[in-house]
Amino acid sequence: MKKLVAEVENLKAYYKVKGRILKAVDGVSLGLRDGEVLGIAGESGCGKSTLAMSLSGLFLPPLKYYGGKIKLKDIEISKMDRKLLRKNVLGKKISFIPQSAMNALNPTLKIRNFVIDVLKEHEPELSEEEIIDRVEERFDSLSLSKRVINSYPFELSGGMKQRVITVISTLMNPEILLADEPTSALDVSSQHQIIKLIKTLLERRIVKSVVFITHELPLLRHIADRIAIMYAGQIVERGTTSQIIFSPLHPYTKMLMSSIITPEKGMKGKELPVVSGSPPNLYEIVAGCRFAERCPYVTEECKINEIKFHKIGDREVRCLHPLTERNGINAAK
Amino acid sequence: MELLRSLIKSRKFLIGTSIFLALLLTSLIFPLVNSSDPLEMVGLLYEPPSAEHVLGTDNFGRDVLIEFIYGMKTSIFVGLVAGLIATLIGTTIGVIAGYVGRLTDNILNSTTNLFLVIPSFVILILLSSSLKSRSLLFLAIIIGITSWPWTARAVRAQTSSLRTREHINMAKLNGMNNFEIMLSEILPYVSSYIFMAFVLQVASGILSEAGLSMLGLGPSDVVSLGTMLSWALLYEAVRTGAWWAFFPPTIGISLITFSLLYMNTGMDEIFNPRLRGE
Amino acid sequence: MSPYFKYILGKLKWYVLIFFAALFLNFFLPRLIPGNPISALVAQMAGGGASSDVLNKLYNSYIHEFGLDHPWYVQFIDYVVKVFHGDLGTSFSLYPTKVNTILAQALPWTIALQVPSILLGWILGNILGALAAYKKGKFDGTLFPITLFVSSIPYFCFAIILLYLFGVILNILPIGGGYSMALTPTFSIVFLTDALKHYLLPFLSLLLVIIGGQAIGMREMSIYELNTDYVRYAKLLGVSDKKIIRYVFKNAMLPQITGLSISLGTMVGGALITEIVFSYPGIGTWLFNAIRQQDYPLIQGGTLVITISVLLANFLIDIVYGIVDPRIRASQLEE
Repeated sequence: MKKLVAEVENLKAYYKVKGRILKAVDGVSLGLRDGEVLGIAGESGCGKSTLAMSLSGLFLPPLKYYGGKIKLKDIEISKMDRKLLRKNVLGKKISFIPQSAMNALNPTLKIRNFVIDVLKEHEPELSEEEIIDRVEERFDSLSLSKRVINSYPFELSGGMKQRVITVISTLMNPEILLADEPTSALDVSSQHQIIKLIKTLLERRIVKSVVFITHELPLLRHIADRIAIMYAGQIVERGTTSQIIFSPLHPYTKMLMSSIITPEKGMKGKELPVVSGSPPNLYEIVAGCRFAERCPYVTEECKINEIKFHKIGDREVRCLHPLTERNGINAAK
Repeated sequence: MELLRSLIKSRKFLIGTSIFLALLLTSLIFPLVNSSDPLEMVGLLYEPPSAEHVLGTDNFGRDVLIEFIYGMKTSIFVGLVAGLIATLIGTTIGVIAGYVGRLTDNILNSTTNLFLVIPSFVILILLSSSLKSRSLLFLAIIIGITSWPWTARAVRAQTSSLRTREHINMAKLNGMNNFEIMLSEILPYVSSYIFMAFVLQVASGILSEAGLSMLGLGPSDVVSLGTMLSWALLYEAVRTGAWWAFFPPTIGISLITFSLLYMNTGMDEIFNPRLRGE
Repeated sequence: MSPYFKYILGKLKWYVLIFFAALFLNFFLPRLIPGNPISALVAQMAGGGASSDVLNKLYNSYIHEFGLDHPWYVQFIDYVVKVFHGDLGTSFSLYPTKVNTILAQALPWTIALQVPSILLGWILGNILGALAAYKKGKFDGTLFPITLFVSSIPYFCFAIILLYLFGVILNILPIGGGYSMALTPTFSIVFLTDALKHYLLPFLSLLLVIIGGQAIGMREMSIYELNTDYVRYAKLLGVSDKKIIRYVFKNAMLPQITGLSISLGTMVGGALITEIVFSYPGIGTWLFNAIRQQDYPLIQGGTLVITISVLLANFLIDIVYGIVDPRIRASQLEE
C-alpha cells in the first residue's frame, strides 16, 4: 500500500448561525494516499463542500472547528496559527479548486496580477518577472494559451476560467488538491478537459493526491481510485471505486447510484441526482442511523444507537444491514 | 403574509415603522383635541419656553409647539403625496421599460437617465419660482413628478431580471397579453422593491419640501417644518439664540427621515439577504 | 479607435444631448406656468409711483429684452444663441448688472465649498464604510445606527445645529458670510485666515453629512463583496487579508463612483441651501436672494450654471470610471 500523505481523524466542523449549531462535518476520518484521487460523493447539503473547505485547515466564519485532527505528514494543521497556515500551508501544501469558477476570480484584476499576489505571499523574494516566467512555463507545459495570463476573468469562457483556476491552484506544487465540484457548472467537453488536466497534474507529480468532491457518483468512475460516501455530515461507506460503484454496501450508496437512470449518455452534469426523500436536519440530529428515515431496510434496532463502522473484508460501512447477500459478497471473505 | 411575518422579525423595520407611525399619529390626533390655529399670534416675538407655551413662540409670536405639530402633518402629507406620485410614474415607466425592452426600453431608460443627471431641485426651482403663491398640493405634485427616475431605475432593473423567467413564458403561452402579464406576473414580484422605493421617496419628498421652503419657495398657505426653519433663519433665530424656534423642526425632519431610512434598511436586509453577511 | 476613446466619445454625445435638454427645460419651464412674470414684475417695481409712461417704457424694454414679442421657438433659439455667447441676461434686482457678473463672483465660493467637501466626504465615507464592514461586530453595530441618523439629518439642519453650537453658544467661529465685512477680498494672509474661519463651519457641516451617507453605501457594498467567491478562493490560496481588503475595497468602490454621479445633484442642492444658512456668498445665497426679489434672469442663470456644473462633474466621473473599471472598456469592444 502506498504511504499516506494526509490523515484526518474525527474532524468536526460546525456552522454557528444565530446561536444554533449546524453539524456539517461531524466526525470524519480519512486517509489520503500518495498518488491517488479520493472521491467524496453525496447529495447537496450532506456537508461535502464544508469537508473540502475544512480539510485545508482554514475555518472561515461562520464555520468553526470543533475537534479532530488533520495531519499532513507530521504537521497538525487543524489548530495551526492562521498566519503560519496561510504562509506555509494554504496554496503551497494544500490547495483548492472552488465550485463556481464563474465568480472565483476578482473581476477587476488581471490573471497576471492575481498570480503575482498569490506567489509573492509565499515566496516574497521572487520578482514579478520570475513569477510570470514560471507561470508562462506552467501554462505552456499544460498546453494552455499564455495569452490568458494578460486577460481579465470576464474575458474568459467558463471552461477556460476553471482550467486557469486549476493551474493557479497548483502553481506551487501542493501535495494535496481539494477539488470541490470542479466540473459541475461546465458543459461536457469542458468537464473532460478539467478531468484530463487533473490527471495530467497527478501523472507529472505536480500534485501528489487529489480529493475530488461531487454530487455525481458515476462521474467518479473516471477519475477516483477510492470513494467515500458522505451522508448527513458523516462518511457512511468507504471502498475502492469499483467496489462502491458496482457493489455498494450502504443502502444510501445504492440509492445514489440508481437514482441516475442514464449515467453516461446525455448526462450533462446539470441535473442533480434525484434521490427520494430529503437529507436530515443537521441542526437536530436524531439518535441512531442518520439514514433510517429514508432507508428501505430500516429496523427498530437501527434507531437506537449511533451506527459505528463495520468492517466487511477490506471495506467499511456504517450500516447494520449492509447489502452483502444481495450483492453476493461473502462477509467472511 | 409571509412577507409581513418576516418584516416583523426585523428590529430595524419595527423601530423605523414605530417612530414614523408615532409621529404621524401625533400630528393627526393632536389637532382633534386642540383646536388652536397654528398661525394665530399668541405672544410676543421669540418668547422662551414657558408653562403656557411649552416650546416658546416664534418670530411672529406664534406657539412653536402647535406650529411644529401642524408642520409635521404638512411635511408628512407632502412626503406621502409626492412619494405616491413618484412611485406611480416610476413603477409604470420602470415596468414597461424592463418588460418590453428594445427600443421602448432605450427611449424610456434614456429619459430616466436624463432626469437623473439634471438635478431635480433645479426643475423644482424653475417651476415654483414662477408662481407667486404656491399651494401645498402643487408642491407635492411637482416634487412627485420630478423624483420618479429613482424608482423607475430600481423597478426597471428588477423587471428586466424577471423578463426571461419561466412563469412569464407560461403566461405568454396561455395567451395573456403584455398588459396582463405586467400586472399579474411582474408587479407582484417587484412589489417589495416598489414599496422600499416608496419609503425612500417619502423621505426625499419631505426633504425636497424643506429645501424648497428654505429657498423661499415653500407653501404659502400652511406651516411646514421647512417653512418654520426658513422663518427662523430669516428672522435670525439662530443668531439671537432662540433655539426653540429652530430645534423642533430640525429634529422633526431628521427624525422622520431617519425612521423612514431605518425602515428601508430593515426591509433591504430581508429582501436582499446577501447584505446580512452570514 | 481605442475602446476607451470610444467610450468617452459615447459619453460626450450623451452629455451634449442632456445639455440641450437642460437648456430647453431652463427656458421652457418658467413659461409653462400661466401668468406673465414681466407684468407682475413691472407692477412691483413701479410700486414707488412712477408715471404710466415710464412704466410702459420699462414694460416694453423688458418685453423686448426677453424677446416676448416673438413666437416661442424663436425665443428659444435666441436664448440658446445668447447662452453660447455667455450672455445670461440682466438682473432685475441689481439692474443694470449683468447676471454673468454676479454669478462669476459667486461661483468660486460655491466651488471652493462644494468640491473639497464632496470629494473628501466621499473618500473618508468610503474608508469608514469599508472599515465598518470589515470589523463587523460592535464597531459596525453601534456605528451604523449613529451614522444612519447623522446622514438622515438634512444638510441644512445639520448646518443650523453647527452654526448654533460653534457660532452662538461657544462663540468661537463666525456666524456667517464668506469673510469679515471690514475686509476686501485679496490674497493676503489676513484675508485668507479670515476666509478660512468662515469656511470651516459650512465645510464641516457638508463634510460630515456626506461622510455619513457614503459610509452607509460603502458598508453595504463591502459586506456584499466580502462574501463573494473570489474572496474565499483568494483566502484558500493563502492570500493575505491586507491584499484581499484591497480587492474588496476597489470592487466595492466602483458602484460608489456611479452612486456619486447619481446623487451629485442632491448633494449640490443640499450644499446650496447650506450656503443660505451661513449666508455664504455663493450661488445658493444669490439664488435665495433672487427668488425673494423675483429676479427671474438671475434665477434662471443660477439654475443653468448649477445644471452645467453638475453635468460637467458627472462627465468627469464617467471618465474616471472608464479608467478604473476594465469591464467598461471591454463592453465597448464588443459593440
